[in-house]
Amino acid sequence: MNEIDYTREIPVIEGRPALREIDDLIAKPLETKPDKKYYLALAVTLTMTGIGAIALLLSFYYGTGLWGNNNPVGWGLPIVNFVFWVGIGHAGTLISAILFLLRQRWRNGIARFAEGMTIFAVMTAGIFPLIHVGRPWLAGYLFPYPNQHSLWVNFTSPLLWDVFAVSTYFTVSFIFWYVGLIPDFATLRDRTSNKIKKLIYSVTSLGWRHSNRHWQHYEMVYLILAGFATPLVLSVHTIVSFDFAVSIMPGWHTTIFPPYFVAGAVFSGFAMVQNVLIFIRKIFNYEHIITLNTLERMNKIILLTGSMVGYAYAMEFFIAWYSGVQPEQFTFINRAFGPYAWAYWIMVSCNVIFPQLFWVKKIRRSIPIMFVIAVLVNVGMWFERFVITVTSLSRDYLPSSWAYYAPTLVDGAILLGSFGFFFTWLLLFTKTLPVVSIAEVKAVVEGSQPSHGDH
Amino acid sequence: MSLKKTVEKKDFWKNLKEYYNDPAVLKAKANEFADGVTDEFNPDTLNTVSRRRFIALLSASAAFAATACSDYQDKGEIIPYTKRPEGVLPGKPNFYATIVNGKSVLVRVREGRPINIEGNPDHPIYMGKIDAQSPAVLLNLYDPERLKEPYKKKRKIDWEKADSEILDLLGEAVVKNKEIAIITDRIASPATLKLINNFKEKFPTTKWYSYQSSGDENKRIAWQSSYGSRNVPSIKLDKAQIILSLESDFLGREGNTIENTRLFTQRKDVMNSNNFNRLYSVEGAMSLTGINSDYRIRLRADAQLEFVLSLLNEIVLKKNVQQITLTASIKSLISKYQLKNFINKYKLDSIKINYLVDDLVKYQGQSIVLAGEILPVDVHSAVIMLNEVLGNSALYDYNSVNLDFHPMSTSDELKGLVSSASKGNIGVLINFGINPIFNMPKELGLEEAFQKIPNTISIVESENETSDKSTYTLAASNELESWGDNYVRSDIYELQQPLIAPIFNTRQKENILLTWINGSAEAYSMDAIHHFVMENFKDIYNLQNSPVDFKSYWYNALHDGFVKVIPSAQIKYSFNQSSFDKISSTETTSEYLVQLQKSYFIGDGKFANNGWLQEIPHPVSKVAWDNYAALSPNSAKELGVENNDYVKVVVNGKFLEIPVMLQPGMADKLLSIELGYGRTVIGDAGKNSGFNAVVLMSGTEVSNYLLTNAAVTKPGGSYKLVSTQEHHPLDDNSVKDFHKIRKIIQEGTVEEYKKNSKFLHEDEHNLIGITREHKYEGVKWGMSIDLNKCTSCASCVTSCNVENNIPVVGKDQVANGREMHWIRIDRYYSGTPDDPEVSGQPMLCQHCDNAPCENVCPVNATNHSPDGLNQMAYNRCVGTRYCANNCPYKVRRFNFYNFRDHFADAYYENELTSLVNNPEVTVRSRGVMEKCTFCVQRIMEARETAIAEGRELKGSDVKTACQSACPADAIVFGDTNDKESKISKYREHELGYHVLEELYVKPNVTYLAKLRNTHSEEA
Repeated sequence: MNEIDYTREIPVIEGRPALREIDDLIAKPLETKPDKKYYLALAVTLTMTGIGAIALLLSFYYGTGLWGNNNPVGWGLPIVNFVFWVGIGHAGTLISAILFLLRQRWRNGIARFAEGMTIFAVMTAGIFPLIHVGRPWLAGYLFPYPNQHSLWVNFTSPLLWDVFAVSTYFTVSFIFWYVGLIPDFATLRDRTSNKIKKLIYSVTSLGWRHSNRHWQHYEMVYLILAGFATPLVLSVHTIVSFDFAVSIMPGWHTTIFPPYFVAGAVFSGFAMVQNVLIFIRKIFNYEHIITLNTLERMNKIILLTGSMVGYAYAMEFFIAWYSGVQPEQFTFINRAFGPYAWAYWIMVSCNVIFPQLFWVKKIRRSIPIMFVIAVLVNVGMWFERFVITVTSLSRDYLPSSWAYYAPTLVDGAILLGSFGFFFTWLLLFTKTLPVVSIAEVKAVVEGSQPSHGDH
Repeated sequence: MSLKKTVEKKDFWKNLKEYYNDPAVLKAKANEFADGVTDEFNPDTLNTVSRRRFIALLSASAAFAATACSDYQDKGEIIPYTKRPEGVLPGKPNFYATIVNGKSVLVRVREGRPINIEGNPDHPIYMGKIDAQSPAVLLNLYDPERLKEPYKKKRKIDWEKADSEILDLLGEAVVKNKEIAIITDRIASPATLKLINNFKEKFPTTKWYSYQSSGDENKRIAWQSSYGSRNVPSIKLDKAQIILSLESDFLGREGNTIENTRLFTQRKDVMNSNNFNRLYSVEGAMSLTGINSDYRIRLRADAQLEFVLSLLNEIVLKKNVQQITLTASIKSLISKYQLKNFINKYKLDSIKINYLVDDLVKYQGQSIVLAGEILPVDVHSAVIMLNEVLGNSALYDYNSVNLDFHPMSTSDELKGLVSSASKGNIGVLINFGINPIFNMPKELGLEEAFQKIPNTISIVESENETSDKSTYTLAASNELESWGDNYVRSDIYELQQPLIAPIFNTRQKENILLTWINGSAEAYSMDAIHHFVMENFKDIYNLQNSPVDFKSYWYNALHDGFVKVIPSAQIKYSFNQSSFDKISSTETTSEYLVQLQKSYFIGDGKFANNGWLQEIPHPVSKVAWDNYAALSPNSAKELGVENNDYVKVVVNGKFLEIPVMLQPGMADKLLSIELGYGRTVIGDAGKNSGFNAVVLMSGTEVSNYLLTNAAVTKPGGSYKLVSTQEHHPLDDNSVKDFHKIRKIIQEGTVEEYKKNSKFLHEDEHNLIGITREHKYEGVKWGMSIDLNKCTSCASCVTSCNVENNIPVVGKDQVANGREMHWIRIDRYYSGTPDDPEVSGQPMLCQHCDNAPCENVCPVNATNHSPDGLNQMAYNRCVGTRYCANNCPYKVRRFNFYNFRDHFADAYYENELTSLVNNPEVTVRSRGVMEKCTFCVQRIMEARETAIAEGRELKGSDVKTACQSACPADAIVFGDTNDKESKISKYREHELGYHVLEELYVKPNVTYLAKLRNTHSEEA
């Protein structure tokens, strides 16, 4: 007999922990020495980063010829990776800003971590546009700076918009994240007895004294920044999608791309956040803060965005047929049945079919199953970018120039390196900053807010 | 507190004088800023460096320091002429006429350095046109792997020493009555001919052998027996209404392809559509001529004799056509061959054959039947008969006869050479510039015989299989460093002059012979051959009764590169029917036939180390860097092989393993293999390229290129052939006929066009742009390419490579799809794999008005010029490759590596090869995008000239490299704003269309739809 009391809201944080306990729990990883497992994990990610770095150095030394790119397929894995990582970043801002504005209190437990992932993902993504060019040492030409040649960048190029969109996104996300960290820095400052830590936290907490006035200002700034970050969630991936949509390639030149890309980004971002959080809550004993309910809610969003993505796939096919444009029609038939059919069907099954399992509540709440599905979603979303980038280029207008693209080992090493880079930052994050917002969690613990529930 | 006291009392003092209040010190102290402080400053005593000068020095030293610390790369010294050679103006090219690769050409020379080879514009045969092979000879001149010194047994030796040793050996051979064998290529030079005769006189035991692994020997033998002359008249192809090509690739590799293409395409002129000729091609392998035919009939080469005899039967006996009266024996011979039976036996398309017969009958005396060089003598004889019967000998041009100085050695002669070598009867063997060990059938055993000859001498430009086995390897100069002449056609005598002094310690091979004839090593002088050629030229001069003196005549001839020779008397051969009686028909077998063919670009292997030529894709299969066995899809299925799989070919105990390439349109049970590949002693570029099919050739019949009764099996394993075009199976319905559906290729027939000249544009929509149109005032460049004329010969590709410094990328990069050609020739198949219709299309940057590449470049590296060019600023390019992605024509080329040092381990990185670069064109570095510029350097040159001459620039002032090369004159370039210009006429032509018009990118390259001259209105 397990009657649910529908008159009461399900608590965001389970078990009514004392506020002091929350401090202790969240600060614990920062106050204890890392264990062997941590070093082992760090060694793995650093090795991956190192492999990627070597591959990059080789590419710089010999040229982009080390990759699989060829004549029709000018963009290969680096651009696929770029779009993939920018997409991963999206969940963070969505959780921290949009869900904040929508007063979704359950986001408090996961916002900090998701935001951190945003920043690291954007950092990872940011590497690719710079390294994918033929002459990376001239990448500075992409920035509009005054020069004696009065040479200006080309404002009609979506790649340039990318530069602005991604750098703006990174800046705003970083500020938003930092502002959120200020009260926690103060808490940590107050807790620590280590001189150096105290100094650092004193500086980073900007003299926060938990005063009422501080909180008032803080809430206002946080709200404004959330408002500021919200459109960015939509704009960044919209602009990334313009890289494709503004071109005239069949399969790229479609108006559905902006919403489709944003949905896909949120989809993959949530999957990645969910994956990592499953580990975090277990390792750091945050099960009552990052509750199963929270994970279930995330799975619902994965289900929603996955369905949106599936709708977009179907709509692409429909519009291609409806357009009557032969190259466009062929591109889609070619995606599904051409030489890259394997990639296409990996994409469809991972992105459209498997997430549908989340309609079943049991699956939604089963940690192993949801983990596997989210991993598949990430695989699928990576392949989505691969399918979009590569299939259109490999078979475009003139059949005479068609060619198959296959990534090389160096391409693979750079992809591996990007994962290494991302997870290295993530690991360092867990040991240097509170991965859950202490202040925000305290605010949603049962009984922390004045309530009139009994009246 | 006493203030005074403190004043009086010194708390601080610096010296005793101050302590005791020395007045001088007090004064000085009171007047701290006294005038005198600066009094002592006297500028004159200072260094004489002025303020300005100081600033100048300061900035100079700062700049100096900055330069020293920067990574400025010293690109080498630029040394000005201290004494300027006459006629050389730095920055201005000079042009000289000479002979390269047997063709009269015009070489562009910059500061004493040949940089480009174009056709000789004054020459009546070439008319400024060139083939795909000749311009690439430049790369041979600057080949770092050329022989640079003479060698004896692989050790360097002095020329004098080598010459005197060889002279002793030659003398000794004569004394001991041992043979001196000299092996040459076909000799077309009267001077060389005289030289060899002089040599024979000087050394009487000399025997001269000549050998070619492919050539027109069979045809000349047939002519000898039918007409009593080996000098075959040229053919007035432009007068031919109907051309029947029997395995004859006259547009691609047989005869003078430049002239053939020009004459053939004169009758494919859309401005005169009533004048279209019709080409029937009957062939087993897919040739360049075959893909250009209006009707193509698949037939194995060994059935050709039967086919010609059946045609004779049909035409003579059934249609009763007899321009000459045939003897009864011939009539009885041909009566055995019924065309109907033949059609049934080989399952031919009777409709096509009937058209052919009707056309031949209808256009008697206005048609020509051509037999391929690889066909046996009998077929040539039969074809001569067919042409005589049809009265087609009217098209023989006896004013311009293909001369022949020395017949090729027969198999027996070559066997004699080998056997006397093994008997020890040969004292010295001289390999005069060729590679007999590689090119002669292995069965002859020349390689083994070489061991038995005490002294072998190879005079070659670079090491080859023969020089490797020779005692002496003498470094020969390149053609561009040589004097010479050519007398190929009876009406034209051509001259060759050196354009550069020998770059290395090499000697012209004729000059080496001359030294030996003169009998002493000291007799050598670089000028000797010059005088020899000049002296020899007097023979021609004396014949001409020219009013000018010899010197002027000579200089004029050198300037023009040729002289017209007035034929002494009109010659016309009389036809001798009796040769026809010897024809014996052979039964075709159901076994495989192997057909050995000349390579399109690398010759007999001579150009195997030439990267430019290796990288030009085969005109039909688009395979580069290798040869292969072309096989019909049906036979491949039968053998169970696919593309790249090896097959083992066994002919009379000789075998070869070679990968196959499935070639639509091939006759079944036929393997077609190109010669010249599989060289082993060769430089980096030619290493591991292809397979040597000479091993299959028979020693008893050296000019037999059809090897019957071949056993073909699948040994397993595969090889990697690389091609510049993906091979889409013709029967894959999802991609079938895309070029037609997407209107990339638009075609019609002559009948259709005559009926409705606007048929091409009938179902077209009006496209509307939403942006403001840019106005082009003044000159606006545009190009038109006439697909009726283009034969896919690839002359434009080589010329563009040479003009625009296109790097060679190597087989591995072609495999990755990274070839750099700015102009490529796309090939599309339609129809069935058995009987495909082939469409070719040169594709280059279309210089679109609404160029999609321009708006996506984030750094404005590609943009539009006011005269309508889509330009690339290499310096600005970061290499995002976005432009290439967005180009619907995929004509942009990216430097994935620094291809100038990547190719075959820094093959290009040497002081010599960089000399090949055109100084007017930027050499692109790694990471930069490039593409066709419409030869902007030529436009700028023309503009400068126009400005200097104070006139407006006209569209006709500029000729792009591809345009000036094109032997078919298919490419027209000019100012589209000039409504009177040729380009405007083509642009406005009813057959003109743009590729992918509906994208509204507004290309500036207009294609003229191909009209097939078939009987129906359907294409």
